[in-house]
Amino acid sequence: MATKILSVDDSRTIRLIVGKAFRPYDVQMCEAANGEEGLAAAAREKPDLIILDVTMPVMDGVTMLTKLKEDAALKAIPVIMLTAESGRDNVLQIAKIGVRDYLVKPFKEDQLIEKAGRIVSLQKKAAAPAAPAAPAPVAPAAA
Amino acid sequence: MSNGANYQDLARRYGFAPKLESASRLTQLVARQDSDVDEIVKVIDKDPALRKRLLRVANPDAENEVEYSVETVEEALMRHGVGCAMVLAMGTPLAMALVKTFQTMLSSTLESIDRNQAEALEGEHLLGTIEFSGKVVGHVYLRMSLDSARRIAAGILGLPPEELSSNDEIKDTAGELLNIMTGNFKSNLCDAGLDCKLHPPRVSISTDLQTPTPPGGGLERMAFRSDKMQLFVDVAANPWNDD
Repeated sequence: MATKILSVDDSRTIRLIVGKAFRPYDVQMCEAANGEEGLAAAAREKPDLIILDVTMPVMDGVTMLTKLKEDAALKAIPVIMLTAESGRDNVLQIAKIGVRDYLVKPFKEDQLIEKAGRIVSLQKKAAAPAAPAAPAPVAPAAA
Repeated sequence: MSNGANYQDLARRYGFAPKLESASRLTQLVARQDSDVDEIVKVIDKDPALRKRLLRVANPDAENEVEYSVETVEEALMRHGVGCAMVLAMGTPLAMALVKTFQTMLSSTLESIDRNQAEALEGEHLLGTIEFSGKVVGHVYLRMSLDSARRIAAGILGLPPEELSSNDEIKDTAGELLNIMTGNFKSNLCDAGLDCKLHPPRVSISTDLQTPTPPGGGLERMAFRSDKMQLFVDVAANPWNDD
């Protein structure tokens, strides 16, 4: 069964980059654009991993993380924070609530894959079967 | 898992890049309203890049160094106040984040250039602004040609430029670029005790090239070049806001 990953970020650009990073793997991606949508998606999809931004409208990532950890059904889902903010208070507060890892933007896709791969199983998708060889052209019959 | 862990332990565990010592030190010094100007002078004088930028900020109308009327760090701080050093402290992590974003997400080298060497923007261009408020108030402005904006968005998304279907993708990418740049300097400011909040970025197509300076504040104007792209970044800030 494919690993299910939820990307919560208000930036469509980041959601696209995260999705692209996992494309070579047997991963089912789901997305949310803020913490409120993220909580609903987490309850609905029960992802194996959540990749979570901090600064978002409607509900920020710290609030979503707090609510996630308060919910008995969701608190075991591991979370990687993906944010441009690595200030001392932010990092300490987030670590106290409980995250598995923290990745600071800008990031390389490889870094995200490495961090995610330490938490969930990432299997490369099987290569598509090669198309059958085209039949050899038949030499036109001599007139 | 991390109860009791300190920031250094976590930064190591998460693999954070080390912060630039001179910028962090400068932010901490400037954040103290009673800080000793001599200490600030020492930090800036030790870092040739910071020194060069401060003198450029202190001589806004000069075309080149020969035209500088303010020639020393001490003189710059005396004339313009410590606020101009604050703008420098903010511009450093911002510029580093921008350069790193180009390296990591576009595999492209972005170099800082003298604003006077840059080809001036004309007419319609992409303008992104982000406001920050708290103990420091101000704005960061990001400007680039529409062609540069399209190339950057395409590069970050890993698409050929002609495949970008709408301006929304270009604007969203520019907004995220602003978020990344300012997120880094916000961390430095907060660590120095200057708590501030970032507002959502606003991105539009504009012809406005004016950057207002907040009363009593400082303005640093930076320019960057990469391949066929140019970016212009202005930081306008007023430290020690007591509101």
